[in-house]
Amino acid sequence: MGKTNDVDFTLEYPYTRTTGPVIGPWLTGLRDGRILATRIGDRVICPPVEYDPTTGASTSPDDLVEVGPGGVVTAWTWVTEPTSKHPFATPFAFAQIRLDGATTTMVHAVDAGCIDAMETGMRVMARFRDERRGTVTDIWFAPGHEPVTPSTVDPGAEPVEITEHLIGVRIREPLFPFRARFAQGLLEGRILGQRSPADGKVHVPGRGYDALNRVPMGPEDDVEVADTGTVTSFTEITPIQYHGQTETEPYIRCSILLDGADTTVGGIDVRHIPVGSFRVGMRLAMVWRPESERDVSSIDNRWSALPAGAYERWEPTGEPDVDPELVEDYPF
Amino acid sequence: MAVSDIAIVATAQTPAYAHYNGPEVQLIMSCVNRLLDSTGLHRDGIDFTIAGSCDYLSGMPFAFVSNLDGMGAWPPVYESHVEMDGAWALFEAWSRLQVGDIDVAMVVGSGRSSPCNAREVFHLQADPYAMAPLGLDPDSLAGIQARALIDAALTTEEEIAAVVVRSRAAAIHNPMAQVSGTVSVRDLMAEPYDMAPLRAHDIAPPADGAAAVIIATGDRARALTARPVWIRGIDHRIESHHPGLRDLTDSVSTRLAAAGIGIGAGSAPAPPPDVAELHVTHAHEEIILRSALDLGDATVINPSGGPLCGNPVMATGLIRVVEVADRIADGRAGRGVAHASSGAALQQNLLCCLEGDRPCEGVP
Repeated sequence: MGKTNDVDFTLEYPYTRTTGPVIGPWLTGLRDGRILATRIGDRVICPPVEYDPTTGASTSPDDLVEVGPGGVVTAWTWVTEPTSKHPFATPFAFAQIRLDGATTTMVHAVDAGCIDAMETGMRVMARFRDERRGTVTDIWFAPGHEPVTPSTVDPGAEPVEITEHLIGVRIREPLFPFRARFAQGLLEGRILGQRSPADGKVHVPGRGYDALNRVPMGPEDDVEVADTGTVTSFTEITPIQYHGQTETEPYIRCSILLDGADTTVGGIDVRHIPVGSFRVGMRLAMVWRPESERDVSSIDNRWSALPAGAYERWEPTGEPDVDPELVEDYPF
Repeated sequence: MAVSDIAIVATAQTPAYAHYNGPEVQLIMSCVNRLLDSTGLHRDGIDFTIAGSCDYLSGMPFAFVSNLDGMGAWPPVYESHVEMDGAWALFEAWSRLQVGDIDVAMVVGSGRSSPCNAREVFHLQADPYAMAPLGLDPDSLAGIQARALIDAALTTEEEIAAVVVRSRAAAIHNPMAQVSGTVSVRDLMAEPYDMAPLRAHDIAPPADGAAAVIIATGDRARALTARPVWIRGIDHRIESHHPGLRDLTDSVSTRLAAAGIGIGAGSAPAPPPDVAELHVTHAHEEIILRSALDLGDATVINPSGGPLCGNPVMATGLIRVVEVADRIADGRAGRGVAHASSGAALQQNLLCCLEGDRPCEGVP
């Protein structure tokens, strides 16, 4: 028998941003081994800004001047347990650093080794990574006075006009109790729903509450429904051959109102019934996968579905169709 | 424009759970049902609903749509959402009622932080070019801010610890609190640093939870409750998202918001508020906020224990409103201030001045 799993996934999105007339040259400068700032009158602001922070007037790339690579720590903290998003995996400092020639500070990471090496007022020096691509993480800071000459980059490299930032969050938690019971039921060959104590309607799968009547539902509300039901809607999907597509032939996704349920299970994958003969009102039965092959690992706390890993296929029961008008309120 | 009288007529909050093993919807639903029960309103008596929550925390695009299940999606009403703490949803609801065509609004704030490391989410609030790629999270910037405050001789590590001591002692009487108890400055100072000079207890523990309120216009509010809590002022100010362009030892935006609602230094000679609930997620922030709000001993600060004793992210600010409103409704306070903050190191601050029809009758 399969088993139910805790939820553990990482959701990631690559964010692509244009850099604009001021940030672009700044990032290009980092790649090329120098740190730029915006001069506005007596103020020299790093990281540079597209707008005067006081008046809102536009600044221009012509206002950019070089600062650093040395600077003074004006405030700092010691990161005892770095997160997966931090530039160092071992303890380090985040510090406000006023670069030589600048009148404001920027926050960056200082690889100081230990907390005792940090103090307000200390000198730090920018270090440039050997491989640089025009991001703020091309540099870091270390205690010291002596500049370290950055490695040279390809002088023909294009200006940095786009940044890519992969963001992501890892989600880890147990299955909610009603999800775990639903998953366990499938492993045991039963489809569980929850009967609303407010109106008696049976929700499959249960969500732990009845949204229409705003009542919570618990284990006492669990009921078993049949593995037979009526098609309430369907769509024929013709696979488009995009990168990574594994489907080649048209197939059906349908919604089924299981006998004993008042909500449908959606997205049911149908492969063994010709598209031309498929219809709303058709009676279907679920053919379970053998117990040893059932896979409910796709069940999480977010999406409600009857997992395809529970069944081999759906096949017609041979019963007469249900009048489609009787299921027209159950399109999804 | 004349501003209409609008009052909080009912409040609800869940406990701050270290881990709530169920959907956010259940947390919301429990609050919504309590609000409807206490006002006698049916769902169709609410003209406008608005929620504050964070899809990034849930790890699910459009999580805020699923959350509507908890508010009762039927019958449909005007509906809105802010990707902000519920306190900002309150501000939008208050603004919405000012239009004058509807009278009753429900406001929800909710979040579950336990499935993820919130520090790995909220660095995304920072500048996407200069800071977010460094993973520069709010706790790190809070550590820098605390250091700046100490270096400027505006506080000490002992004073920061004293904020925690007082908060935890106050939370003993708060059944919603996640942590509480009697501790001493000496005990706390013996703990190791986390984000030095901050220690773990100086940082609010992320929690799962929700809060909600119903607000209503003048006569409708009086009809719904014998003890309306009037929103006398609400204001929200923002500072630069570049910490280097700010004075981290002060909260200029809080001072501006305070002036906007008639609180603090330079306001008309009004008595100080009886109570202030401040969105202190890092202990040193209370010291900055006290100064910005010009709060003295006449004002009881965070009698609930505050966020340091329970921080259901995205509801924490709205809970400040709930805590003040509850004290005014039951007579423990006559007038109070609720504060909500967003962004790193108190970048954004919202203030709400609340007042009852009667003066303070006891101790908040």
